Amino acid sequence: MGTGRKTIKHTIILLIILIVLIIVAASIGAAKVSLKDTGLIIASFIPGVNYFINVEDLNPQEIVIISQIRLPRIFLSIFVGIALASAGVIFQGLFRNPMADPFVIGVSAGAAFGATIGLVFITGVGLLGISTITIFALLGALATTFLVYSISSARGKVSVTTLLLSGIALSAMLSAMTSFIMIFRTHDLTKIIFWIMGGLTAASWYKFNIIAPMVVVLIIISGFYMRDLNIISLGDERAAQLGVQTERVKKILLIMASLIAALAVSVSGIIGFVGLVTPHILRLIVGPDHKILYPTSAVAGGIVLLMSDTLARTILMPREIPVGIITSIVGVPFFLYLLVKSKKQVF
Amino acid sequence: MSGKRNMITVKNLDFSYNQRKVLDNISFNVEKEDFISILGPNGSGKSTLVNLISKVLIGYEGEIEVGGRDIKELNPKDIAKMVAVVPQYTNPGFSFTVAEMVMMGRHPYISRFGTEEKEDFDVVRGAMEKTKILPFANRKFTELSGGEKQRVVMAQALAQDSSILLLDEPTSHLDINFQIEFMNLFLSLNRKEKKTIIAIFHDINLALQNSKRIMLLKEGRIFNLGSGEDIISRESIKSVFGSDVFVGRNPVTKKIYVSPVFNPGVDLGISSQKANKYLRVHIIGGGGAASPVMNLLHSRGYTVSCGVINTLDTDLDTAQMLKIPYVTEAPFSPISFVSQNKNIEFIKSSDVIILPAVEFGFGNFSNLVSVKEAISSGKKVIVIDEKNIRERDHTGGKAEKLYRRIIRDGAIVVKSENQVLRRL
Repeated sequence: MGTGRKTIKHTIILLIILIVLIIVAASIGAAKVSLKDTGLIIASFIPGVNYFINVEDLNPQEIVIISQIRLPRIFLSIFVGIALASAGVIFQGLFRNPMADPFVIGVSAGAAFGATIGLVFITGVGLLGISTITIFALLGALATTFLVYSISSARGKVSVTTLLLSGIALSAMLSAMTSFIMIFRTHDLTKIIFWIMGGLTAASWYKFNIIAPMVVVLIIISGFYMRDLNIISLGDERAAQLGVQTERVKKILLIMASLIAALAVSVSGIIGFVGLVTPHILRLIVGPDHKILYPTSAVAGGIVLLMSDTLARTILMPREIPVGIITSIVGVPFFLYLLVKSKKQVF
Repeated sequence: MSGKRNMITVKNLDFSYNQRKVLDNISFNVEKEDFISILGPNGSGKSTLVNLISKVLIGYEGEIEVGGRDIKELNPKDIAKMVAVVPQYTNPGFSFTVAEMVMMGRHPYISRFGTEEKEDFDVVRGAMEKTKILPFANRKFTELSGGEKQRVVMAQALAQDSSILLLDEPTSHLDINFQIEFMNLFLSLNRKEKKTIIAIFHDINLALQNSKRIMLLKEGRIFNLGSGEDIISRESIKSVFGSDVFVGRNPVTKKIYVSPVFNPGVDLGISSQKANKYLRVHIIGGGGAASPVMNLLHSRGYTVSCGVINTLDTDLDTAQMLKIPYVTEAPFSPISFVSQNKNIEFIKSSDVIILPAVEFGFGNFSNLVSVKEAISSGKKVIVIDEKNIRERDHTGGKAEKLYRRIIRDGAIVVKSENQVLRRL
């Protein structure tokens, strides 16, 4: 017992792994920078620590590559990973269903449709320096979530089954509409396909600064509902008997998780697997208690996406592979291996 | 019971689901330390009532007060501190450990921004001790047996540290050993820890043996509310459940019990034969051998009497329950001349005498003598020869001799009570 201490222990271990990986990932790329130099450059940006560090004898080009090109991408990938895994934990918990992922209620199809419209019909107009595609993807994701949610809630209650079904139905329709547009706009085809496959090539500090605080706030708010989420997995009626405001908690968590997923999708496109499988892997390690599962899965999601994105941009250098392909090709066999090896009953 | 604090007050409670009235004008009080069982057929509104009191369901009309406060003013956590529900079963979506499951019962006491304190662990530990699940605190809930799982659910409810327990058929899918274990736990919680208990039991006898009061619910209304002794009868069970039962008394606990009465004749098509209501039938009783035929003929509308039976004999319970006239004798005493004469009077005024497969000793030998006199005087006698007379003769051949004489003198011999119907 003592869930608090266990949570802190596991989260710190994962954070240390993440920091090590940040340094390793930042040193890898077309221009090779040593691990030591990379570490020094990164440390020089940390307030308080930079006082003790002298980077003047380092190559200024390396400093720019790391600080302006690699780090924004690394941090964006970490935060997208965190967002996807957190949303995955929440959706799986709410639906009591191992198939649930951040896109289960249509966020991805909505975002893809929005992005397609943005790509095809509107050009050049950005808002506050964010590209049209990102804005339209976010709008598409939010509109779909809202629609699915309103279809599924009647008389103050949200029906989980209706939520899943209307999500699937609406996704199918939106995907069809996206394909329809693609037929007529063949010259935009590759752009659309690349966006849908997901990637972090357009990362910048600016993008990160807008997305990260929102994701952090939403994740922290949701974090206070993890005890409720544990109990909701016993069923709505039992949860209510144990004093959980079932409908309210479900609504709050649904909205939070949908927003988190929508933010992630709008900057990265559709990156599969991370949100679905990271929570499963962590459940095998730390158990099903959401109070531990949620923070650890979040950090692990960051680790998974950082590793995948580093592979995506380096294995076929100078060519880049959409990171969604890596997450699935490398991640799925690993997950299947874990499933077979542990033979634990996850659900 | 009066003078104790009212724990639950329900006033003019109405509840409808999809325009169908599920509860209709329900009013009752439950005082501290009461143990009240709600009985009623499926769909009579039992679970709805429990769900309304625990505020799992809302949208009712009327008033529900728990601990002197209107539940409309209470939030779910406040209610969960006062009322703990024990459901039939729980099926968690994930494989939590036993300790994690029980800790969920502390939810009402832990603030959203807080964490489990020492007190919470102490209460959880106590709840696991009471339900004997401490040895497997770290095992996965999903790997436990049905009875063990139900103990965990019970511990979860106990962790709520509430003064009221609502039991919603908590033992209905458990084996008898677990049922008894749980009943003992409920009784000790009720008596030692002064917990107020409202229970739904599938099993009427479980309710009768253990609760202080019974509420009979029929089609959303309270049919009757009172002690089992006062309100459970053949008639009340018939009108609430529509079933034929035998109401007897448990010799060990002295409490009444209910046992179903099956009437195979109904399915054998014999019911098509019209019963002659004016046909008077006298049955020789003893050791319960007469009960089946007594019940059968009574249910077909014949005018039935029985004798001579000893007090404490099952046949006497049956006769009393069916409200048919009988001749009785003090327990374990030989039949006196007074009783024998009374019996002969019944025989004389009857059209048919039935002799079931009673065990004969010197004590009730005179019953056989009475039958012999009846057949000698030309009465119609039917003998149910289900069991060889030699095996039930404890008089050293005397009874067998007389029995064979009765048959030789023209008694009709049948092999079971169902065949009696055709011979009347």
